[in-house]
Amino acid sequence: MTGTPTRRRWASRRADPAAQEWAGDTREFDLVKELLVALVVVGVLCVALAGLFSSPDDRPITVARWAKAAPGDFVATAVTELDGTSRTASYGPPYNSFPGAGQELGPLPLQRWGGVRARVDTAQDFVLRPLREVPADPVLTGALSEWSSAPAAVQMEWATAYGDAVAKAPGGDPGAVAPGDYGPVPLLMTRLLGLGQTGALDGLLVSQDRFYATDYTKPLLFLADGTYLEDTARAQNLGGDQWGMMNETGSWPGQAWLWLYTFWYQVKPFSTSDNADALVWGLMAVLSLVFVCLPFIPGLRSLPRHLGVHRLIWRQHYRQVEGPKRPAES
Amino acid sequence: MVSHRLLAAPIDLHRPAHYVHWGIVQISVPNLIVVGLLVLVLVLAVLLPFPRGGGR
Repeated sequence: MTGTPTRRRWASRRADPAAQEWAGDTREFDLVKELLVALVVVGVLCVALAGLFSSPDDRPITVARWAKAAPGDFVATAVTELDGTSRTASYGPPYNSFPGAGQELGPLPLQRWGGVRARVDTAQDFVLRPLREVPADPVLTGALSEWSSAPAAVQMEWATAYGDAVAKAPGGDPGAVAPGDYGPVPLLMTRLLGLGQTGALDGLLVSQDRFYATDYTKPLLFLADGTYLEDTARAQNLGGDQWGMMNETGSWPGQAWLWLYTFWYQVKPFSTSDNADALVWGLMAVLSLVFVCLPFIPGLRSLPRHLGVHRLIWRQHYRQVEGPKRPAES
Repeated sequence: MVSHRLLAAPIDLHRPAHYVHWGIVQISVPNLIVVGLLVLVLVLAVLLPFPRGGGR
């Protein structure tokens, strides 16, 4: 081979049709008109379809609804918040610094990098602090004092024993728990269930540190620790292993464009990994990068030319340019 | 009650959707319809001739 590297590079660029400038005919194109027509057509379609089908309007799942519909699950969850064994209590950042918690991408501890930015103390935030807000209830005040003055090991014994007893009670009914040494835990749970069923706990759990109370982190975490929210979601095919990211409540179409993201959660190793979120995020980040860099990847960037869809769209043009195909001469 | 009925959408979708299962794939019929419509629009966009006879 002869020639300098620069000449060879230019020669290879000339050989690549994708790098050549268009030398054929051009014509004017009214982009604004096309955009306007598309906007009007899509706008009319949106209004017409919204009128025809309406939109999903499910009743919200609140702490009150949970406490009324599944009091056993509510109490069993509240006990795990009290003794620090709930999912939130061991979640790690951004809620707490539970040892070893947090998703990792290989050697990269992604979840821990963010740090604890929304600290949640499940016993205080979900159980004890709301109960302290109850006015004029000396029995409850006494139970709260008994709890806070007991050593941590005793608190754990009471809560664990009560949690086990609720699990063994017929139908998980907190009212049918066998007698035992549970300290003040049954009273605390009865009062918390009452607060939950009246709807007061919903308000007490919403963050009040700003003028508009829109931070629903705590009630959502509390709800997510129980089984009621998950069971309700799974009944509507919204579970992570049910392609739930794509689905919608009722019979409305959902987010079908998330098919690839949710697909990874259905297959190994993601479906069985504790780091599934980090792994799927990492994989999608790599795939997105490949997609963004497509014009610079040799081979892949030439795919459209080889597939020839443009020849199908502009078939009339190619017919004119190349002429009618003649049968092969024999 | 009457006004509520008047305001209600003609087609009520407040009922559980049917799902199609195929191996690990699970997709709701409404999603399948939307995907089918998207594919149809794509095929039409490719195959339909350009307006004004495409002679431009």
